[in-house]
Amino acid sequence: MTFTVMQAFLIGLWALFCFAGQVWGNYTNRALFISFGVGLILGDLQTAVIFGATAELAFMGFGVGPGGSTPPNPLGPGIVGTIMAISIKGLTPSAALTLSYPFAIIVPFVITFIFTINSGSMEMAKKAIMEGKYRKYQWMSNFTLYGFMLFAFVFGFAATLSTSALRVFVNAIPTWLMNGLSVAGGLLPAVGFALILSTMIKKEYIPAIILGYVCVAYLKMPVIGLAFVGAVLAFNNYFNGKKAVKNDGNNDVEDGGFEDGI
Amino acid sequence: MASRTPVLTKKDYAVSVLRSYYLQNAQNYGNMQGTGMLKTIWPQLRKIYKDDESEFRRVAVSNLEFYNTNPQPYPFVSSLMLAMYDSGQDEDDVRAVKMALMGPLAGIGDALSQFALAPLFSTIFASLALEGMTFAPLIFIACLVAITFGVRCLMGYLGWKVGTSIIDTLSDQMAAIADIATTIGLTVIAGLSVSFVKVNLALQYTTSIKGKTQVVAIQSFLDKIMPYMLPVILIYFVYWLITKKKWTVYKIILLLLVLGIALSAIGLLKP
Repeated sequence: MTFTVMQAFLIGLWALFCFAGQVWGNYTNRALFISFGVGLILGDLQTAVIFGATAELAFMGFGVGPGGSTPPNPLGPGIVGTIMAISIKGLTPSAALTLSYPFAIIVPFVITFIFTINSGSMEMAKKAIMEGKYRKYQWMSNFTLYGFMLFAFVFGFAATLSTSALRVFVNAIPTWLMNGLSVAGGLLPAVGFALILSTMIKKEYIPAIILGYVCVAYLKMPVIGLAFVGAVLAFNNYFNGKKAVKNDGNNDVEDGGFEDGI
Repeated sequence: MASRTPVLTKKDYAVSVLRSYYLQNAQNYGNMQGTGMLKTIWPQLRKIYKDDESEFRRVAVSNLEFYNTNPQPYPFVSSLMLAMYDSGQDEDDVRAVKMALMGPLAGIGDALSQFALAPLFSTIFASLALEGMTFAPLIFIACLVAITFGVRCLMGYLGWKVGTSIIDTLSDQMAAIADIATTIGLTVIAGLSVSFVKVNLALQYTTSIKGKTQVVAIQSFLDKIMPYMLPVILIYFVYWLITKKKWTVYKIILLLLVLGIALSAIGLLKP
């Protein structure tokens, strides 16, 4: 299966649109959503969405990096991974996910590069405004956005056109290594989950974690049910926890009163 | 400074909420969101200082300084600042409020949008998609865009409506909402993570029971003791690497990649 230049152009535009969402803060740059558009353009929505969901779960924790680092970006699996999943028959979603990691890792370097070359933004903007060149300021104030868009377009366009090269490369991988990549694809989502847990976890959330595990491992509960069970715990904490705090507060006041009295 | 008659209308504030999407358009390592922050309130500032060009330039340039917050609750800052500029309040006060809000709002915004909302919707709609619901990504994005847009409008309204004193009770309420969202999110994530991470032992042994030979997979053995035991151990191991060993994400990815290929090659794990 080879894709047309028109398809490559559309994928480029789609990548541009989705990646711009990272700047606007509106969540279009998520693997699940990127894959959906790629699937529509390449004409295999089913495969695309299954792969997109796999990548979404693995990359869920990569929204923020610990300590301000830029984590692997979902644009990699969203574009390249989906193209591989669609165009290479017999490639499992896990293996496609593993193979798209290098592309996910290139993206943060480009982001860092754009942020760095735009570092003089403040001085340039100040100069432009003081000289009354407001149009120049307006253009400059979109520099990062334009940089992101340009990169994403080239990324999507090039990835689509190099499908046959990707396929030759993937077909050259021996079976034992392919199995290994599939196994690794099963292990890798642990990174995303552990990362998100490390940013969210506090001791008071341990019951939520055990509850979630029990519901899935022993009760085989579907995910919407899981959300309802979580809501029960959350509202129970909210209403009954408030009561406890109030009681504590009263006790404290009384204690204080006694101490003052003494 | 003398107070002045406000010139901004509700429409101007509504436009500034929409312009909050420009906040990160010039993100960089110098002043972070500073250049974009001025862009979000540019037309409103022009309107406030339309009679005094040099005053406009001075105020505009002063807003180019370092700023870094979460874009979702940001309209609270822009509305509040515009209200203060428009009523002719002291510029130092405006700046103090702006800087004071940066940290708390970033904290609340991150908790709500990045740690609670996004993972929650991610897990729900990705698993629906895996079950064959091909339009799940559309509902996913519609939910997130609608909710965050709602947050921005609400924040813009609150910033316009109230003064600085309210931020304490506001952050209390936001904290409660964030707490509820986090509890639901963690329940879903914890449940889904164990079933999604796949660690399958390929080991098996043969026994003969009453003369019949039988192949017993060790995996099924483990599942009887505790389902998903190996994924739980693996997630905890990675969690430990992140929190205690301070490993970078890249190092961990490399480790798991090597482990996956090596353990599969020696026949310990299977896809």
